Amino acid sequence: MYKAEISRKNPGCFLFLVDQSESMEDPFGGAESDRRKADELATILNRLIHNLSIRCAKSDSIYDYFCVGVLGYNEQEAQPVLGGALSGRDIVPISDLANNPLRIEDRNKKVDDGTGGLVDQSVKFPLWFDPTCSGGTPMCAALRSAQNVCQHWTVEHAKGFPPIVINITDGESTDGDPIQEAKNLCEIATDDGPVLLFNIHLSSKSGQPIELPSSADGLPDQYATQLFEMSSKLTPFMLSRAREMAMDVSEGARGFVFNAQPVQVIQFLDIGTRPANLR
Amino acid sequence: MSEKERFSVAEFYCGKRGGAPEEYEDAYASRSSAGTLRVAIADGATEASFSRLWARLVVESFVRRRLAGPEFFQRLEGPRRLWRRRAWQKPLVWYADEKARQGAYAAFLGLTLDVQNHRFQAVAIGDSCLFHLDRRSLEMRLLCAFPLAHSQEFGSTPFLLATRPMGETRHGQVVEGAVRPEDVFLLATDALAAWMLKRREEGWPVWKRMATELSGQAEFLEVVEEARADGARNDDMTLLRIVFHG
Repeated sequence: MYKAEISRKNPGCFLFLVDQSESMEDPFGGAESDRRKADELATILNRLIHNLSIRCAKSDSIYDYFCVGVLGYNEQEAQPVLGGALSGRDIVPISDLANNPLRIEDRNKKVDDGTGGLVDQSVKFPLWFDPTCSGGTPMCAALRSAQNVCQHWTVEHAKGFPPIVINITDGESTDGDPIQEAKNLCEIATDDGPVLLFNIHLSSKSGQPIELPSSADGLPDQYATQLFEMSSKLTPFMLSRAREMAMDVSEGARGFVFNAQPVQVIQFLDIGTRPANLR
Repeated sequence: MSEKERFSVAEFYCGKRGGAPEEYEDAYASRSSAGTLRVAIADGATEASFSRLWARLVVESFVRRRLAGPEFFQRLEGPRRLWRRRAWQKPLVWYADEKARQGAYAAFLGLTLDVQNHRFQAVAIGDSCLFHLDRRSLEMRLLCAFPLAHSQEFGSTPFLLATRPMGETRHGQVVEGAVRPEDVFLLATDALAAWMLKRREEGWPVWKRMATELSGQAEFLEVVEEARADGARNDDMTLLRIVFHG
């Protein structure tokens, strides 16, 4: 299982479920924070799409190694939330995303100057998603929408690597217990294995970030525990890739993080030789 | 015997199955002058940009210069400058620009054969491999596998030669030794090299086939198909064969 090659002919699929409920207006990572959970979510999602685009960039073009969908959930339902030219589409090739951000800002980034120091470098900073929050947290509805998208994907890509669904939320579902819907989602499969569900928990609680735990012991609240239980175990390749990236993971680690920015997650799928010295 | 008659070089290559021709990112080159044969093979990293360009520039640089040892890795400013100039010869869209700024990477293996003195020296960074074979022995004895000697040593994240200095001194490896008439050198990129080592470990070596029986590109493509059916990674595969006649 989870051995299917990812290539332009057999692309991988990332489906993001993003919590846009009113509770995402609350502070992130502690009551005194001036940063909202919705801001953190937007940062994570933009960074993941950004990094995924860079990963697929090849010389002066971009290869469609992946397709990406973003479903937002609030009020009573989940729906595609990519904007601009991608409005209304649930799954798009990475090249369409890379070529159609909402806007591109100029920002400064510290980079290695080659002699051990850091210098400012102007970089283009594309944005696909702005924070928004209102209404409830229909996580069960979001997982059902994900089931629909994944059903279609697995029929069309029956021999390919199964979709990876990444749910970014504060965990407070308002339409029931999401565990059963998560199980239903993870029963959808290609010939290569079932759908993988990862959860990124953004909490108002302060505390150390937690990345890819293998047990629920020490998680800060029932929402974190619930999201951990919903999360898939990392595949053997993902475990080895995480270790290569110096992450502290053990057997049975699950795709769950608490108050952390899991930018490494997009490296968890193999698209070919990755130099050890590429940072 | 003229210098040209003292060795022969054959080249074989195949891109990834299902890949377009521009996705072939290996490179190879050979050149002889003044009693020295220089051959090089490089394997551009899939996950980096402009890798094929970088692979071509480093093999050309190796065969055109006289730096046979690890000092080659210290004198790469020329090809690095050329890579930057060619990568940005036209404006790049944001993702192409940012990816190119991360640099290009390639596994590299260079072999220098001193025809007069019957000596060889090889340098390597990454997982392209050299196999030195004794063709006179019945079973075609493997004298040296460099820099990797076991199929289990191949991974998906090797340290590679980059378009900016990144500690090549620590990672560059060197091997040297004597060469006798009828010895054969095979230089192979990683997926093929790993399969050849695996076949040896399983007791079914393919040295003889690769060193003496392979006569053309069509036969090489048959070997590639067989290797992939036998579990070899779907990757570019390139083989250089050098026979030293004495």
